[in-house]
Amino acid sequence: MIGTRHRIEFYADKCVGCQICYKACFVDVIRWDIEVKKPVFKYVEDCEHCNYCEVSCKRGAIKVIPDFGSQSFRQSFDRYGKNRRND
Amino acid sequence: MNKSDIKTERVKTDVLVVGGGIAGLTAAVSVKEENPDADVLIVEKQTTGYAGKANKGGGVLQYFDLENTTPESFNEYHANAVAGYLSNQNLLKKYVGMNNILLEKLESWGVKIPRKKIPTGPFTYIFGVDLDITLQMRKTATKLGVKFIDKTTISDLLTDNGEIAGAVGYSILDGTFHVFEAKKVMLATGSQDYRVAPMWSCGRGDGIAAAYRAGAQMRNAEFGNFAQLFRKGSNRECVFGEQVMYDAYGENITKNFRRFPEADISSTAVREWYNQMQAGRGPIYLHPMESESTKNDTMMFYIWDRPYGLPFWKIDFEKGSSVDGAEGEEKWEVVPGFVGEQSPVKVDEQMETTIKGLYAAGDVCYGGSCAAGAVPAPPGRNRGSGILNAVFNGYIGGIEIAKSVGNVEFKKIDEAKVEELKEEAFAPLFRKEGVSAIELIDKIQDIMCPVENSVYMSEHRIEKCLEKIEKLKETAKNLKADDFHYLLSCHEAEAMLLSAEMQFRAALLRKESRGWFLREDYPNMDNKEWLKWIVVEEKDGKMNFSTEDVPINDYQVKPPMFE
Repeated sequence: MIGTRHRIEFYADKCVGCQICYKACFVDVIRWDIEVKKPVFKYVEDCEHCNYCEVSCKRGAIKVIPDFGSQSFRQSFDRYGKNRRND
Repeated sequence: MNKSDIKTERVKTDVLVVGGGIAGLTAAVSVKEENPDADVLIVEKQTTGYAGKANKGGGVLQYFDLENTTPESFNEYHANAVAGYLSNQNLLKKYVGMNNILLEKLESWGVKIPRKKIPTGPFTYIFGVDLDITLQMRKTATKLGVKFIDKTTISDLLTDNGEIAGAVGYSILDGTFHVFEAKKVMLATGSQDYRVAPMWSCGRGDGIAAAYRAGAQMRNAEFGNFAQLFRKGSNRECVFGEQVMYDAYGENITKNFRRFPEADISSTAVREWYNQMQAGRGPIYLHPMESESTKNDTMMFYIWDRPYGLPFWKIDFEKGSSVDGAEGEEKWEVVPGFVGEQSPVKVDEQMETTIKGLYAAGDVCYGGSCAAGAVPAPPGRNRGSGILNAVFNGYIGGIEIAKSVGNVEFKKIDEAKVEELKEEAFAPLFRKEGVSAIELIDKIQDIMCPVENSVYMSEHRIEKCLEKIEKLKETAKNLKADDFHYLLSCHEAEAMLLSAEMQFRAALLRKESRGWFLREDYPNMDNKEWLKWIVVEEKDGKMNFSTEDVPINDYQVKPPMFE
């Protein structure tokens, strides 16, 4: 989905620089800063909250916070309008 | 950025595998096992081992108990109840017959398969597979000497007199332009899913588009319209349970939904949602406690021993539950979510495309192979066949490549064409004004997602969609990218437009309803006119359509009028 507002929290002090979060991201949200050996969450707007970075991090340095309200399957009746009972 | 800043690298390999998901990995490993002398290189736009969809889903493999089921008996059921007589029945029987061999192969490659079978429909069961499947496969591939280039996308394929010669692409990190020379190419880039549903988000159709532009034929493009029910709050998919759908007035609207032995998931449940909403009887709920298969929706996590996948499923469930309410609640509001799963690259029974030396495997050619007939790629209507079909295709194609690659020379690379493709690929980087990929994809999703456009179709609605697509094709001429990440998004957006156009134009031609494919204006199956596959290809810069008759007389099962 696009136009979502999921957030990623990163606790740099816990990170040991293993690069697994960078490799695990299947949609290129995370890049790797070679100088400081830490991930860069560069394209967060592309995050699909698959949670792979969070679960793969053995040190608990990453938390993905989905904003479910910002997702939509864009059905004509998403907002229901008159088709929704009790509206 | 200046054009002169972009470096070019040339790479020569006997076999180029495009895509590092389960299909590409299987193909690479199969080539190496059969022919250890062949150089095999996997190029993946993200990271091989983590890329693709095989490690994002429920981790299931379709299983046929061949002690009690024959390929013929499954084929008889499948042709009638699922495929709508559009399947290549011989290929499907081969898939069923190779079930045990494929599972043994996977295990020999280090993949853990807890072999406890769960029934999923007539004749079929599923086995669990742990989500480190692709990581294990990467390890095996590495041991066998397969080489990898990650974070590099293939933008176009190169041909020489109708035969494959290689490919071009670029690094999404620093833009380095790559020219690959290869004797054989395996395309394993997945289906077109338009970035809508989260776990399917990596299927963006760029491999389909590259094959189309290179002149490869596409087949069954109209079956790229998979949708299933999702919970309204968290958008978690509802697996099974379509027969316990209720309208807002408490009436069970899908009580008689399963009229005959039915495979799981059907577009008729999606159609029912639309009809009820249209009639003002929404929202629609699923009553999970009334169905054995939805009563405990965490059961699937624990039923097999899968230590790697368990934390992923648990965290997804926990986060979703925080907005859906506690487990075991009596009703879930459901909404159909469009997924897509267009998989149209046409292949023969050896997985070779219509371009000599270009092969395809997995979700890029599920529809194009015709193995499953009138259905989108999995979940399609054969749960667990996504991974297993990818392994089936990758193995068959891999062996074919291994046997023949030694007798083939490298083809000529057309340097002028390479320069032209490089210029085209990087054009969005050098536009000062233009539209972003996200703006374009947003509009494409607005067209594809409503189920009355893509699942329950009519001539009027399809034509409206095509009008919008034509306008977006003009917009796409001004796609603009700020860096190589967004450049890839631009190419994906173009691929989405191409897939959408193929799908709607083919859907307009198919004036009937068959299998997954539902037309409101043509509700019946028409075996007189439409026992045909629709083929799409580019000719003189135009999208060209033709049909192939299904060779039904060569097949075991025939529709009633042919008996």
